[in-house]
Amino acid sequence: MKKRLTRRDFVIQAAITGASFSSLPAILAACGTGNATPSSSKPSKLTIAAVQGNEDGPLKKVVGNYKSQTGIEVQVVEFPYADLFTKLVTTFQANDSSYDLCMMDDPWMPKFGTMGALQPLDSNFGFTRDSDIPTVVYDVGTWPPPHGPVPPSEQGKTQHLYGITIVGNVEMFMYRSDKSAAPASWDEVLSNAAKYNAASFYGYVIRGKATNPVSSDSLPILWSFGGNIFDDNWKVKLDSSDSITAVDFLTRKLKKYAEPGPENTDAADRSRLMAIGQAYQSTVWPGEITGIVEDPSVSQVKGKVAYIPIPQGPSGKGLGMMGNWLLGIPKGSKNGQAAADFIKWMLKTDNMRNYVAQGGIPIRNSILNDASLASANPYFKALAASFAAVPNWRPRTDQWGAVETSYGTAMNAAVAGQLTPQAAMQKAASEIRTVMKNAGYPS
Amino acid sequence: MRSRQAAIAIRLILIVAGLGVAAFLYAFPLYWLIATSLKSKAELYQSITLFPRHPTLQPYYSVLFERGFWVLLKNSVLVCAATVLVTLAVGLVITYPITRLTVPPRLRVGVLNWALSLRFLPPVAVVVPYFAIVRTLQIYNQPIALIGIYSLFNLPFAIWMLKGFLAEIPLELEEAALVDGANRWTSFRRVLLPLAAPGLMAAATIVFTFAWSEFLFALILTATPNSQTFPVGVQGLVTQFEIIWNDMAAAGVIAMSVPLLLMVIGRRYMVAGLTFGVIREK
Amino acid sequence: MSHLVAELPVPTGPQPGRTGRRGRSRQERLAYTILLPAVGTVFLIVTIPFVIAIWQSITSDDGTLIGLRNYTRALGNPLFFDALRATGLYALIVLPTEILLGLAFALFVHRTIKQAGLRATLYVLAVLPLVVPPVAVGVVARLIYAPGYGVLNYVLQSVGITHSEIQWLGVPALAMGSVASVDIWQWTPFVYLVLFAGLQTVPKESIEAAQVDGATWWTQFRYIELHYLRPLFLLILFFRVADVLRVFDHVYILTGGGPGTATQLLSLYIYRIEFRFFDGGQAAALAVMVLVSISILYSLVTRALPLERA
Repeated sequence: MKKRLTRRDFVIQAAITGASFSSLPAILAACGTGNATPSSSKPSKLTIAAVQGNEDGPLKKVVGNYKSQTGIEVQVVEFPYADLFTKLVTTFQANDSSYDLCMMDDPWMPKFGTMGALQPLDSNFGFTRDSDIPTVVYDVGTWPPPHGPVPPSEQGKTQHLYGITIVGNVEMFMYRSDKSAAPASWDEVLSNAAKYNAASFYGYVIRGKATNPVSSDSLPILWSFGGNIFDDNWKVKLDSSDSITAVDFLTRKLKKYAEPGPENTDAADRSRLMAIGQAYQSTVWPGEITGIVEDPSVSQVKGKVAYIPIPQGPSGKGLGMMGNWLLGIPKGSKNGQAAADFIKWMLKTDNMRNYVAQGGIPIRNSILNDASLASANPYFKALAASFAAVPNWRPRTDQWGAVETSYGTAMNAAVAGQLTPQAAMQKAASEIRTVMKNAGYPS
Repeated sequence: MRSRQAAIAIRLILIVAGLGVAAFLYAFPLYWLIATSLKSKAELYQSITLFPRHPTLQPYYSVLFERGFWVLLKNSVLVCAATVLVTLAVGLVITYPITRLTVPPRLRVGVLNWALSLRFLPPVAVVVPYFAIVRTLQIYNQPIALIGIYSLFNLPFAIWMLKGFLAEIPLELEEAALVDGANRWTSFRRVLLPLAAPGLMAAATIVFTFAWSEFLFALILTATPNSQTFPVGVQGLVTQFEIIWNDMAAAGVIAMSVPLLLMVIGRRYMVAGLTFGVIREK
Repeated sequence: MSHLVAELPVPTGPQPGRTGRRGRSRQERLAYTILLPAVGTVFLIVTIPFVIAIWQSITSDDGTLIGLRNYTRALGNPLFFDALRATGLYALIVLPTEILLGLAFALFVHRTIKQAGLRATLYVLAVLPLVVPPVAVGVVARLIYAPGYGVLNYVLQSVGITHSEIQWLGVPALAMGSVASVDIWQWTPFVYLVLFAGLQTVPKESIEAAQVDGATWWTQFRYIELHYLRPLFLLILFFRVADVLRVFDHVYILTGGGPGTATQLLSLYIYRIEFRFFDGGQAAALAVMVLVSISILYSLVTRALPLERA
């Protein structure tokens, strides 16, 4: 990178000159334009870092209403999924004030909670639990987590609410109801897939793209078969026989009836296949439903698809998976009160109804159970049932980024057929064990 | 007689075939990019066609205005222009003594070699320390951070190019001015700069082009449209959670058109710039 | 438009009249005064990150010194060697292909196309791929290779060559090929331009003499033109190796390193360690190792290929 110059005194002179330039940082800092204006009482603009895709579409549509009601402009800055996580962590590390609000996928809560990167909503801004909102929604935004294993470094910390859901994502299941009744178990899913598989009509669509996509798609299956990534003491059990059976079910049995190239299929592709009538069934997130499968401008199967909670596995459990997107307030934000007001505005029932009309996913039971909205939103019933059954959530560890990358890469290799289920899970298990050990978890 | 006609015919066929294959391989991807950028959203859910069924400019409108990328475009232009100014200024300050004044040859070689070595540097290896510096100086999410880093990385090109051009201007012209009583600065301004203008323009177009394409530092060191550049926006559209290939293609077309336009103007110096002056116009 | 020439400078001996450190002329002092602040600042801006990287690599997150533990972890990570292997494979595919294709095309144009106008047009066309931003090329490649909407599969199936979708980005070998093809597409014109300029410097008389003697195009190439092109090959290798080691943008967009880690080249690997795993210490250790290796490589290369007159 730098080549040592051959003349010694040049080097010395350069060093002296360089030292005299220690004022450079001050000059540069003075040149930088300020970040957010310090808030007096009301800022003119709030900035939200959001995930690009179906999830922030409705958000972008309703912020116009906020501006007309309060005069505050809300700027939505979008990033693709993985980049949003990277961007949030780097911004938190810089303690920067660029973002007043951030959209977070719930598995990111542990890292942000451990970093202390968010402002507590309950003690700072007076948020309390609303009975119309499912308890699990508050639980998923609380750190340390109210149930399930707690990372060793976080035990003993006071619990605070750090984020509230604005996209009530719980992973569900969709199938062509014009062809058959609802599958009651994963075995029925498999037999239906075999039965209806045809040329250009895939029996099951696997969302197998590496890391987050395939991880989200496969965990409910893993759980339904009794497998898991960790047990209650943070010991890795990906290489247990239950886990490997589940992986084998997905990557060998179901794959026979899946679309070509599942290792590259992401959510939008999967929904697109459903929307153009080339797929029979798959797991699905509510955002894909409103954005693609039930969107009349692009869907050819509107009215032909039904939505149910995740089917049961051999263990007798059908464990749905939380995938809520929460809104939180970064510590660096200079407009905390205004940001909190925005969140409260989003949660008001009337505003949430408007949000639903724009394709948003609500979290209020009163809205989900409202019969008048059922026909326009066919998935509400399944979503309400999923919330009531208390869906599972992803392991609450601040190492989730690394865990998901290892697990997701191995699963992707298994879906692609490059590794056997056993080899893939063993590889992931050993990588994750190393990561957890380095991070101080019990092993 | 016949064999010569045959030879000419064969040569013609070879030319057409050779050029034809190359032309197709280069033109078709660009055609496809433009064609995709003219498709409507509904068309993306139907089967693929080589020509847009109902060509529309909606994707461009969507990219520039609905997604607000015109701000990113503006940022890119500003950052690149500022980078060009800084790079040329510092480049001139470094190249002038080396080429116009008597300096020990090893000093000259040393500086030029050091400049060249920066070309080997993988940006990803230094992005982490630069992030730490940016954090300390509190210029995260500020365009000035990008301007500083881009200037640094483009300095080698500028130095080598300017060296090539300045070296060709005869020393006597400046000496004549000095003899006439002008000082160094005046002779630099009045004699050298006008003659070096083509070289400066050349370096300017190339530095602008390379700064325009930079992606990694822009990705890491920016957070909002306050300082994000256009390549960051383009990458943000490559998402498979939405079917937005037409917007993605439109953004790609816009990203490409600026350097392509510049290069039609600055084409004479492109190869010189890329080879550090070894291949030059004569 | 006048043509390009290649001028690889030949290093000359020390010029007469230099007296070394003693007797610095007024010009020299002026030179130092102008040069030092600029070079000094830049030197510092370039050195400070290196120092920071070293510091980050030997301390833990909270600042305590932990010695070389990050280095042992970095070297003990099998994914690191996968990344090196992938980068090496990438270089092995890309470099010979670009050089051979560029050479073939340069010879072809040099021999068969004589009109200046056509040559000038080809020159402009060849420059254009070089300046397309890598992210944009990545987008173009996505639109060609992606499953489902990629046009390559569409074309192949329409013409009847294949009947099912080929997973250009899903099969490791094909993914590496796809990523390499983008590089080849963008940089073969560079090789073409350099070698074409080199061919211009071959004296016409030698060629004509050879042709009178009945030489075939191969002998002509091997014994005459190659001699003039040899230093240019080194130059091309020099720059292309530098670029291949740094490649990031279009791979990030096209495959993100996948499938699995098949296309996770060195730069993507370091990116993943720092910005997905947030393992700052290990990333810094990797950065330091890369920087040191490249410095060594650079000094070796410049010894073999002096690019500047002394």
